[in-house]
Amino acid sequence: MLSERELERYKRQILLFGEEGQEKLKKAHIFIAGAGGLGSPIAIYLAVAGVGRITIVDMDTVDQSNLNRQILHTDRDVGRKKTVSAIEKLQELNGDITINAIDTMIGGDNCDKLVGRADGIVDAMDNFPTRYLLNETAIRKNIPLFHGAIRGLYGQATTIIPGKTPCLACIFPKAPPKEVFPVVGVTPGVIGTVQATEVLKYFIHDGRLLTNRLFIWDGREAHAEEIAVERNPACPVCGEKHTTSSRKPARKKR
Amino acid sequence: MRRKTHDEFPKTREEEEMTVKVRFFARFRELLGTDILAEPGSGTVLATLVRKIAEKNKEGYAAIFDEHGNFREFVIVMWNGKRVETGDAGKTIIADGDEIAVFPPVAGG
Repeated sequence: MLSERELERYKRQILLFGEEGQEKLKKAHIFIAGAGGLGSPIAIYLAVAGVGRITIVDMDTVDQSNLNRQILHTDRDVGRKKTVSAIEKLQELNGDITINAIDTMIGGDNCDKLVGRADGIVDAMDNFPTRYLLNETAIRKNIPLFHGAIRGLYGQATTIIPGKTPCLACIFPKAPPKEVFPVVGVTPGVIGTVQATEVLKYFIHDGRLLTNRLFIWDGREAHAEEIAVERNPACPVCGEKHTTSSRKPARKKR
Repeated sequence: MRRKTHDEFPKTREEEEMTVKVRFFARFRELLGTDILAEPGSGTVLATLVRKIAEKNKEGYAAIFDEHGNFREFVIVMWNGKRVETGDAGKTIIADGDEIAVFPPVAGG
């Protein structure tokens, strides 16, 4: 049940989703991998929208050079752990939700455990090796992965539903090269809010998800585009040969 | 130039002039432009056409192709809205009206 305060707080979006939709958000648990450029707007918007439980993971310390885009952190946080800074800001934005911030590196040995019983994973990472781990966990647990990535004024996003859409390894079998990528805060702002919108729609069962499509944003041209993406039957992660043994039965939908 | 053909031998589709559109995205677009209309000869394969267009800019070419002239493994190539395995791009024969899109995924966050 929503409290009086919650009914007031979420009044304007209850006009959109109904009280029922808001209840669904309250019961939801989202896992956000990364509290950086993408993770900041994603966590902020999901917190203020009232997603009941947010787990956010990051291993880094706030650096001065992060502040042009990582809007969860401010000058006074430089030198502090991103998790400490993140939990403070998010709890301040919305005291009615539960936030866990975990200061660790996501690896092959701990990914499943960190995600735990979350209902979905948001990819707010800055590298493909970790993204592939999140993808494998999403497939194993049969929960969605909300992918986003950026560089400069360009970005991409897609929503992965195990068994129904291509997985990250189907779409990107090979990782783009590693680099210190140029970035300005508005780009993770655009892509992060696309990802957060997807999370809300998924939990509320509203609209049409960004599934089987790769959304491409070109900020330089102010142009958005989408390309159709398909499952790879021979995918080493989600292909036919690999799904039956490794994937758990579908979790009951909210 | 449209080739002249004898009335008794109606021209086949291959003999006609072809127009193909090549679209580059993101960084590839910065280096090479986009919505490029090409008129390749019949039997031209996808990889050859893109290579030819990319050759006009050294940096653009190097961003898309490796030193052996193969598509870099992370590059996404679409042919009429369908994904083409970059390994098959050397066997994909293009036809009039085709649209090719070449896209570099990004990795930052």
